[in-house]
Amino acid sequence: MSRVVKVMQMQLINRWTFLGVPAVILVVTFLLSYAIWVIVPGDGRVYSGATQAVLWYFLVLGIQSMTMTFPFSQSMGVSRRTFYLGTLGLFAVVALAVSTIYYLLGLIERATDGWGQNAQMFALDWLVGSAGVVQVLFYFVAMVALFMIGFWFATVWKRWQTRGMLVAWIGLGVVALGLVALTTWQGRWPQVGTWFAVQTPLSVTAWTALFCAVLAAGSYLTLRRATP
Amino acid sequence: MLDESRPIFLQIAGRIENDIVSGTLQEEGQVPSTNEFAAFFRINPATAAKGINRLVDEGLLYKRRGIGMFVATGAKARLLDRRREEFVQQYVQPLVHEAHKLGITSDQLIEIITGSTPQAASIERRVAQ
Amino acid sequence: MTNPPGVISLRNVTKRYRDTTALDGVTLDIEGGKIYGLLGRNGAGKTTLMSLLSAQNFETSGDVRVFGEHPYENDGVLARVCFVRESQKYPDDFKAGHALKAASLFFPGWDAAFAAELVDELQLPLKRSIKKLSRGQLSAVGVIIGLASRAEITVFDEPYLGLDAVARQIFYDRLVSDYAEHPRTIILSSHLIDEVANLLEHVILLDAGHVIIDDDAEAIRDSAATVLGAADAVASFVEGRTVLHRETLGTLASVTIDGRLTEAERAGAAYQGLELLPVSLQQLVIRKTKKQEHTERASASPIRTGARQ
Repeated sequence: MSRVVKVMQMQLINRWTFLGVPAVILVVTFLLSYAIWVIVPGDGRVYSGATQAVLWYFLVLGIQSMTMTFPFSQSMGVSRRTFYLGTLGLFAVVALAVSTIYYLLGLIERATDGWGQNAQMFALDWLVGSAGVVQVLFYFVAMVALFMIGFWFATVWKRWQTRGMLVAWIGLGVVALGLVALTTWQGRWPQVGTWFAVQTPLSVTAWTALFCAVLAAGSYLTLRRATP
Repeated sequence: MLDESRPIFLQIAGRIENDIVSGTLQEEGQVPSTNEFAAFFRINPATAAKGINRLVDEGLLYKRRGIGMFVATGAKARLLDRRREEFVQQYVQPLVHEAHKLGITSDQLIEIITGSTPQAASIERRVAQ
Repeated sequence: MTNPPGVISLRNVTKRYRDTTALDGVTLDIEGGKIYGLLGRNGAGKTTLMSLLSAQNFETSGDVRVFGEHPYENDGVLARVCFVRESQKYPDDFKAGHALKAASLFFPGWDAAFAAELVDELQLPLKRSIKKLSRGQLSAVGVIIGLASRAEITVFDEPYLGLDAVARQIFYDRLVSDYAEHPRTIILSSHLIDEVANLLEHVILLDAGHVIIDDDAEAIRDSAATVLGAADAVASFVEGRTVLHRETLGTLASVTIDGRLTEAERAGAAYQGLELLPVSLQQLVIRKTKKQEHTERASASPIRTGARQ
């Protein structure tokens, strides 16, 4: 267990990577959005999708923490399992913190009438009706999903290099195409549409969590035989 | 400092013997530790220890627990005795052998030896008087 | 199960990559508490063998034991092994100092004061980004981690790449003095055999995935000799012996033979006017690893001879 904590400490030796960069992205995107709201006068509601920026950084972070830190952790006598638990554990903590910040900023946003500019950045219409816990969880699983996608692809790359990447992408393409073909052939598109329409923030969160679990399991199984 | 001609532990032992004979290492004086030898000659400490232990086994050096390694009393005299014996084998016998091959008689050989070193010659003369 | 003697034990270990066999049925016991030299040409399987010891890579078949256990996913064993690769990758966002800080987290025996001394001596700029370090400075990071970790098994894989003569000397000096004070198992893989020969207590020579020498360094030293003298006299002296190398210059011949010579044989050589020269570890390694190729070629030739008859 203590070595798992040490992996977390190792990932935090350069504080910028897990803490500094996300914080800077959050602050800078908010300030830029705010500047735009002020400079560009709009009628009615103004929106900003800048909250996504941090999420995309987490995809990159997933790739980095695998490709850069895994080979080094091997020379530090860290088992693959310990590396995996430490890295994911640390990310989970960071993601939970950022999710909570998003939720709190959403509350402030609504209380201040959209930062005084009738703007919407954190309190998404679709989400604000749900319980606070659901909102936090939704952000959390979205972040974990992106991190895990990056991490898993990087692991596939580490283990099988170009060949693995090709197989993974072609495989994903074939599966997606197969699903589309199957739906079309069975004439199920209306049902699919209905299914999407009835999803609630809670159910989307649950589905994403399931997706995360699959990615997490896949990453671990891939990592178990990866070499630095 | 070290060469390939003989095992390194023998060379280490030989160096310490030389220092005892020359007086650089005094009897009852302390000898550098195994680790110091290893670090100085950049050799494996086990090799240095092997060389030193050889001298301990021969009674030329002795250990004082927790303090270190010392030259035994009488070590110099014993080494000198041994070296004199070896001198015959290593230097005199080949010399005589080679002299025979070249047709130099024993008398001629003695003459060459006494003549070649002025000090030796003068000592001879003084002894004769 | 019964614990095999020593800290490392390999039983019939084979490692195959897609189209090459890096290790071919290697059986090896490493007793521990010594400085071991792992020697061999490029591609002989040295790095593969070292990787298996810390489960950085996996054997295709056979069994690997470190402290009596398999190192794979075994944090208890891995915490006692330090293996910094020759081409070690470091996180891009690390500075040199970060790498040392990480090592201080994971190795229980880490000596921060010793690491600081080494940083000073090897002039490693701690604040510089790992990406901007020269090859020599990168090697210095590996050397410092290896030495200051004081891991019970420390593996150095060509630790001197890019290090100048002064820095290499510092490494050798510090290795010997620190090992003397804190005995442990050191495995040193090197091509600069002359430089490290005297540091080694035991030598393992790999050639094409096979262990061809596994012996005490002292014993290896006189396991071969070069006979120098008149060609006929040399020829008759070496008759019936394994010849590792042969050179002639007019009527003069120099032949390196495998195997220990008895006192009587040495005296006999002297009597015949032959000179016996010692064979350095470096020369022996060159002769032995070249010889393998000759044997392969030699084993192919009788078939051709047979076909002609």
